[in-house]
Amino acid sequence: MVERKDVTKGNVDEGNGAVISARGLGKEFNGIWALKGVDLSLERGETLGVIGPNGAGKTTLIRVLTGQISPSSGEIHCEGKVVDPARLGFRMRIGLVPQEASFYGRLTARENLALLARLYGLAGEEAAARTDELLQWSGLLEHSRRQVRFFSRGMQQRLSLAMGLVHRPEIVFLDEPTSGLDPEARSAVWELILRLQEEGRTVFMTTHNMEEADHICTRLAILVKGEIREQGTPQRIKSLLGTDRVELRLSEERQGELEELCSSLGIYWKKEGEAYVLTGVDLPEKLPAIISRLAVGLRDMHYREVTLEDAFLRFMREVEG
Amino acid sequence: MRGWRSLLAKDWKMVVRNRILLGVLIIYPFLIMGVIGAAFQETGRPVPVGLVNLDEAREAGSLWICGESGSPAGWRRTLQRRAEDFVAYASGEEALAAFERGEVDALLLVAESSGGEEWCGARIANDRLEAMVGDLEDGWRGLRYYATAGEAESSLRDGECDAALGLLGKAYPYLAETIWLEGENYDAARLLRDFSRDVMEISDYASEKEALADLRSGRLDAVIVIPPGFISRLKTLEEVAGVKVVIDQSNLVKAEFAETGIRGFLSRVSERVVEEKMRAVVAGLYVLVTGGDFFGTQVVGLQEIGDNLRSIRDAVADRPELAGLVEQGIELAETVVADIEDAAAYLRGTALPVDLEVTSVAGRSLAAKDAVVPSLVALSMLWTGVLCGAILMVLEDEEGMRVRLRLTRMGPFALVGSKLLLAGAIVFLQSVVMLFLAVAAFGAFASSMHLALLTTALTALSCIGIGLVLAAFARQVAGAVILSVLVTFPLIFMTGAVFPLSQMPHFMRVIAHAIPLTYALEALSGVMLRGESLADVAWRLAVLLGFGVALLGLGSALVRRKSR
Repeated sequence: MVERKDVTKGNVDEGNGAVISARGLGKEFNGIWALKGVDLSLERGETLGVIGPNGAGKTTLIRVLTGQISPSSGEIHCEGKVVDPARLGFRMRIGLVPQEASFYGRLTARENLALLARLYGLAGEEAAARTDELLQWSGLLEHSRRQVRFFSRGMQQRLSLAMGLVHRPEIVFLDEPTSGLDPEARSAVWELILRLQEEGRTVFMTTHNMEEADHICTRLAILVKGEIREQGTPQRIKSLLGTDRVELRLSEERQGELEELCSSLGIYWKKEGEAYVLTGVDLPEKLPAIISRLAVGLRDMHYREVTLEDAFLRFMREVEG
Repeated sequence: MRGWRSLLAKDWKMVVRNRILLGVLIIYPFLIMGVIGAAFQETGRPVPVGLVNLDEAREAGSLWICGESGSPAGWRRTLQRRAEDFVAYASGEEALAAFERGEVDALLLVAESSGGEEWCGARIANDRLEAMVGDLEDGWRGLRYYATAGEAESSLRDGECDAALGLLGKAYPYLAETIWLEGENYDAARLLRDFSRDVMEISDYASEKEALADLRSGRLDAVIVIPPGFISRLKTLEEVAGVKVVIDQSNLVKAEFAETGIRGFLSRVSERVVEEKMRAVVAGLYVLVTGGDFFGTQVVGLQEIGDNLRSIRDAVADRPELAGLVEQGIELAETVVADIEDAAAYLRGTALPVDLEVTSVAGRSLAAKDAVVPSLVALSMLWTGVLCGAILMVLEDEEGMRVRLRLTRMGPFALVGSKLLLAGAIVFLQSVVMLFLAVAAFGAFASSMHLALLTTALTALSCIGIGLVLAAFARQVAGAVILSVLVTFPLIFMTGAVFPLSQMPHFMRVIAHAIPLTYALEALSGVMLRGESLADVAWRLAVLLGFGVALLGLGSALVRRKSR
């Protein structure tokens, strides 16, 4: 079984060192709580990734933290003080990259950025300079005079990212920034997010992509049904599951027997193509029993380190009972 | 056609499982049918008409006949020539005091070429006064009748006329006439009221000015002015009794209803009068034919004369000179009897004692193209304004930018304000082009272009406000367009643009007055077709402004609430 550690409490800043923190944050929609008692903190310069299944409340959490909707309960602190995220002072410190396409398709990339720069209060020349800077930063300078609706999805997402940075925010909220992108475009967006880290910005992002979470985030929180269930570094989350992972290939007639055996021994398994992937904290102790029972049909066996996706899937199975 | 069954089943499921589609395709048509049905269900309601009766029986009352005489000095000389005693007054107060004391029978007020006024009074015999009134009613243009000197003076000062003749009721014999019809005695007011029952809803007015003000404001569909001497002319049939009818032609259907209604009831009055009169005339003629009592004198009838001649025809057969005369006498009697019968039949069928002089409240006859322009402009503004307001706002949702914009330094009303300015410019420019095209290219009538433009500017506010309200209920442009169509379509029927409000049931009129387009349409018709001034339409413009501000405020609040 997964060892449950209460890492949440240990990571919650009491409001002093954290740039932004949430205390008992809840949001109710027509009697249904989309968020329940969320305690979370975001340290300066870190990249916190919130992972969770569809409908877990990830986007709702971003909407509450960015002041788009008011929380039904709880408080949001900024550098130790309670804040109303809808107030201008806080809004000017945060940047947002929404999940859905968010730009004027019939404007060019330059026009979109220039408009936001003016709306954030930048004067003429300053706005133009910032626009050029962001076009350069996002690699869109040579496409800056094309209407955005003719951009590829990846280019649009890079523009969207740039648009969230027009006013040089300290904290950037990214809502599933690579959702729906092909690997090349995804890699380009990752590169931009890593540059944000290098620039020292604090990033709060949600994602479904475990590879992304593992690759980009310095800390992770697992949100399930509106509640934070686990928090910690990717390594820490993975360690909840143990670091062992065995891939087996065996004859078809023995596969059912393997599945039954894993269930009886409390070992987690999943099928990846023709191979069975077994994970578990006490896997080394249980592995001899499996090999001895299935030796006849065993064709191939490899040992690999556990991935975040394995850990997440196992965690979700655990949560759903 | 392979697969059509599966596709049909799929379409059916998609329709019945989509509440919006069900509403649009099935419920909405019934709703529209209900709206239109309710609007038309009481067709044939009495037409609201104002009655200005200047033929009232008033002992001490006065009557002022105003008009464009063409030569005020000439008419002054005419009065002086016919008067037994003529007085020129230094001031109006002096003249009116003498008039009220009965020192003079008539007062003449004329405009001087220098811009001043001249008052003169006359003692004059009734027959001469009648003749003078007859002359000026024939010679003056744009006749207006007022009950008070104040109204006559104000009409003269407004430049509506250049001369006014004041008469005292006791001096003017036509002011106290009644007519005997169907066993009852009628004065002009009662005659109109009784014979127009079920056709018109009559309200009494003391002066034409007051009645015209209510006609312009839409409270009346027509004004009937009964001139002095109307009943007298009906009684004597010496001349046609004219009735002046002023109709609001800015709405073609309303004008048609009013004119048809008034013509119908006046034709019934004519028939009754003719019938009554012809009964007396024919009775008199038949006395000539049959013999009997003719106003207290026993006369021998032509038939009896003919019979008597026939009875002596044989007795004088041997005296050829007498027989010839008798034959001629018989023939003459038969011819005269036949002629009298023909004349009676002709009189019964052709006499028309009442004549209508129909004019427009605009002061000129309006063509269909004139009346259509305000409705066309108002409806196109409704269409463009609602769509513009809704689409421009929903575009922010469709582009996903609302979330980003809310995080900026943008002011709370910047978003709504920018939409209002752009949509307002589009709607206003469109209406300006339409108005100028209608007037310049198609020759449509517009009495005040400036006021029409002011009205369209205020109308644009309300139309865009409706669009903003609708934008709160749509997330995509397609949805906003459908919503706009669903809302604007019934409004067209409920605002009097198609069917006159006066013919709608009460609850529909209440609804109509809760729609800004009703006021826009009335104001536009008023300033373009009825010659209304800024003061006349000010309250409608104020209502439009109020609607505009309220709808923009509501739209703005709903849009902000939606984005939360």
